[in-house]
This record gives sequence, structure tokens and C-alpha cells, in this order.
Amino acid sequence: MGELIYRSRWYFLGLLVLVLATAPMWGSDYVVLFCLLFCLYLALSQMWNLLIGYSGLLSLGQQAFIGFSGYTVAVVTNYYGVYIWVSVLIGGVLSGLLALFMSLFIFRMRGVYFGIGTWIFAEALLLWFGQWEYVKYATGLFIQPRHPPSITALYYGALVIGVGAVVLVYGILRSKIGLGLMAMRDDEIVSNTMGVEVFRSKLFCFLIAALVTGLTAGVLYTYQVFIQPYKAFAIDWTVKLVFIVVIGGIGTIEGPIVGAFIYVLLSQWLAEYISVSLLILGAIAIAVILVAPKGIMGTIQERLGFEILSPRRR
Amino acid sequence: MQDILQPVLNGILLGGLYAVIAIGLSTMFGIVRLVNLAHGDLLILGSFLSLVLASSVGLSPYWTILGVVPVMYFVGFFVQGFLLNRVLGKGMEPPLLVAFGLSIILQNLLLLIFTPDARSLMTRITLMTIQVTKSLNIPVVYLLDFLAGLAVILCLYYFFQKTYLGRAIRAASDDEGAAQLMGINTKNIYAKAMGIAMMTAGIAGLLVGTTFTFYPHTGPQYLIIAFGVIVIGGFGSMKGCFVGGFILAVAQLLGAHFLGPGYQLLSGYVVLLVVLALRPQGIFGTV
Repeated sequence: MGELIYRSRWYFLGLLVLVLATAPMWGSDYVVLFCLLFCLYLALSQMWNLLIGYSGLLSLGQQAFIGFSGYTVAVVTNYYGVYIWVSVLIGGVLSGLLALFMSLFIFRMRGVYFGIGTWIFAEALLLWFGQWEYVKYATGLFIQPRHPPSITALYYGALVIGVGAVVLVYGILRSKIGLGLMAMRDDEIVSNTMGVEVFRSKLFCFLIAALVTGLTAGVLYTYQVFIQPYKAFAIDWTVKLVFIVVIGGIGTIEGPIVGAFIYVLLSQWLAEYISVSLLILGAIAIAVILVAPKGIMGTIQERLGFEILSPRRR
Repeated sequence: MQDILQPVLNGILLGGLYAVIAIGLSTMFGIVRLVNLAHGDLLILGSFLSLVLASSVGLSPYWTILGVVPVMYFVGFFVQGFLLNRVLGKGMEPPLLVAFGLSIILQNLLLLIFTPDARSLMTRITLMTIQVTKSLNIPVVYLLDFLAGLAVILCLYYFFQKTYLGRAIRAASDDEGAAQLMGINTKNIYAKAMGIAMMTAGIAGLLVGTTFTFYPHTGPQYLIIAFGVIVIGGFGSMKGCFVGGFILAVAQLLGAHFLGPGYQLLSGYVVLLVVLALRPQGIFGTV
């Protein structure tokens, strides 16, 4: 069974991409919207998974990149009239640079200090943007490109980012850096002694994750049109990422795919009960950590012994 | 020169409150090497408990300490005993994520029950001041915070040095295996330690409520304050907790004084990040 699925994995994944790529042709607006959100959350959570599952970096401050990039897109399109896709690129690059700046402070910390350090950075950005006249304080900005992209164009942007994020993580993990990362996750001191460049590998992953998170946030906010500091820099983003990755399985590439699908599905159902939706997500996440700490895909891999996208060599 | 004396004085007094906010987090980190990400939300839970008690019985909020502190002990005991103990020793992430999930649940539960309105436990004392010189006042509520902070930390120090339970907790944190061999049920000890940490959080919640307004979602703000105090002062040092509290509070109030009230929190965060960059082990910490 496991062997059969393993052999047919490329067909399976190809089919999945094909279904997603043709969604605007066969699906209703609702289906396209669903797939759009799925692709965006897939990219965000895959990046968080790269950090926590493979680099041992617990970031509780991904919202710093989401908000910063969203605001960059809003500012360069509104104030400078930059073409929307170019401004999304600028947003990604600037959030990568923000990560470089943050690393000066927080790369001296480990484990949970690192987590809270990133969180403090995001909170500081929230307060700063809330006080900043240039971005109209806390009232927020409407993103008004001169030529607003159609929903289909946005969808293909999201698809490229979503599929690209999975391919990128797979590529990184199959490379020399990926081998080093996995050695590092298992035992940092030993791997350092054996010649793994721990600091540089971690920094590389942190920057890549910030870049892709920034690009994703650019598309997300172009779609949402409105950005406001108390939403853009909110810890809620990290809550969602934790939920997706924990449910799917930390440290598996398939985990965020399954997790993002479940999250988007659940959030559509819970949209009617907005006040309790985070409560339910938190409770489900705790239950999964207590019962099946490896998440859905991690548990399946353990029981059945197969991986669809294995970073290991056979 | 005259006009910065007031924010510095207020900052020093407020530092005592910040020390109580942080001491529970610092203690638990020292014992189980766990940063309880729900610390701020549990503290705000204490504030709301006190609010409910004060309004239902009609007493001054300060009397609710008699009810809030025991309740918070049991809250802490159950959180550690039923949730966190089950994921201890399974690596770094699971306990953190459970605490994080708990924080989200508490925040949204409080939001559901109490609505997002601002609450406070203001009393007559809140507005009272003691005139020292013509331009220098001591707000009585800050003075009470400071004295309560001092009292809590002295009690905790005495508890860890002199009582059997305090020694057992220290033994369990120093060497879990040896403590078990000496007949200490370490899991139970951890739950009791969390109960005691939550008693301090309950007191901190009460003090925060009498000093500031609070909302269901202000928990993370106090977690960050607690973390800031500990990072500046150095982990596992009670003296560090006090000094960290002073530095953070004075930085915040000076920021508010020079740049405007909107910059109070921001200037605290900036000082914190600078300390982290220059001296990651904290002022009193050892590497």
C-alpha cells in the first residue's frame, strides 16, 4: 500500500496542481476563492514549517513580515503608483531586508527567547504603524492600484506562490543545506562540530521564510484591499500558522498542505461564529498536540511508513 | 531636571508592579524550563475574577485578594497537572504550543463572557496622591503596587528557602531523577509550583486592575512586560526581577514623557531589544 502510493506520488501531486491550475475554468467564484485562500495559507504555513520543523526556529512574529509587506504594497501602489505585481515583489524584498535587520537582535537568542523576541518586534511594529501619520495611523489604508488585477490574475499569483513555496522547501531540504538543517535539528552541537554552518543555515531559512511570507502577504492584501495595523500585525496570524502546521504535522512537507486545507474549510464553516472560531481552533490544536503530537501526516507516516514528498534519499 | 523626576519616581514604583508580573514566569522557567506563554492571560483572568468578586460581594477590590489567590492556585495546579505535565520532556515545541493554545482559549473565552469593553477595579485610592514637594507627587496606588511587589517577592524568597515544599521544588528543578529517588513526586511538585506562580499572577492581576484599565486581550501585553523584565534582569534572579522592572518601567514612562503617551509601550520594547542585542544574558544573568 505504502509503496504503491510512494511510486504514484508524482502523478498524485501533478493531478493536485492540475486541479488547482484549472480551478477558474470549472469552479464557481466560491471555489476559486477557496483555492486562493488555500494557496496563500499553504505558502505562509509552509514557511513557518521550514522554520520550526527543520531549522529549530520558533518564530511567533511572522505577522511582522505580513504586516510590513502589506503596508509596503499599499504605500508604493497608492503613493507612487507602482504596478501592482512590482509592488508585491518590493514588499517581499523589503520584508526579507526587515528579517535581516531583525536578525541583528534576535539571532543571539535561542528557543523560546527567539520566539518572544520576534513577537516583541511585531508588537513594536504594530505600535509604530499605529502612531505613524504617513500610513494614516490606525485607520488603515485602502490598496488602490491604477489597474486592479482581476480575481483570476490574483488567483494565479497565489497559485504560483503556493506551489512555489512547496517546491522551494522541497528543494532546500534536498540540497546540502537541507541535510545540514536536519542534522542541526537533531543535535545542534554535534552537527556544528561536524562542519554544518549552523548560524548561516538558520539565517538563510529565516530570510527565505520572510521573503516568501512577504510575497504572500502582498497578494493577500491586494485581494483584501484594506490594511489596518491592528489586524495586519496581530498575533492571530501566528495562531493560524500554529494551527495549520500542528494539525498537519510539524516537520513534514505534506503537513501544511493538509493543514491549510482543513484550516480554510474550518474557517469557512466557523465564519458564522466569528467570536468562537479562534477558541475552537485553539482547543483543536491543544487536543492534537496531546493526542497525536506529530499531527495528521506525521502520524500517517509513522503508522504506514511512507512519505509523499520525502526530503530523504532512497 | 525637575520635570523628569516625576516620571522616574513613578517608574520606580511601577517597577515593583512589573516585578510581581514577572516573578511567576521567572519562577516557572527556573523550575521546569518552560516559558508559560499563557502567563499574561492567566494574570488577566485574575483581574476578571477579582472584578466578578468585587461586584458580586460589593467589597473593595483589595479584599478580593482573599478569594482570587486560592482560586488562582487551583487554576495553576490544574493547568500544569492536566495539560503541561503531559507534554514535558517531549522536546521544546509541544509545551510551548500547548501554553500558546491555552492563551488563545483564555483570551477568547474572556472576550465571549465579558465583551471587549475596558474594565477596571478603580477605587477611591486610585485618584489619591501624596504631595512631596510643589511639583512632585506620589500616586498612592503606585506606592501600594510597589509595597505589594516587595512583599510578594520577600514571601516567595522565604518560601523557597525555608519551607519543605519550597525546598522540594528546588530539588526537583536541580535534579529531577535524584529528587524522585528521594521520594518526591516531581510531576505533583511541578503542579504545586505552577499553583504558587499563579498565586503571584493573581496578585499581579489584582494590582494591574486597580492601576490600569484591562481588556480580555491585554494578556499578551503583560506577558511581554514580564518577559522584558526577566530578559533585562537576567533569568532566575529575584534581584534581577526588581531591577528589570525598574529599568523597563522608567524607560516606558520617560518615553511617554518625552514623546507622548502613545510611545509608552514602544519605548519599553525598544529598550528591551537594545538590551537583548548588547547583553543577551541580562544584567544579572550568567551565561
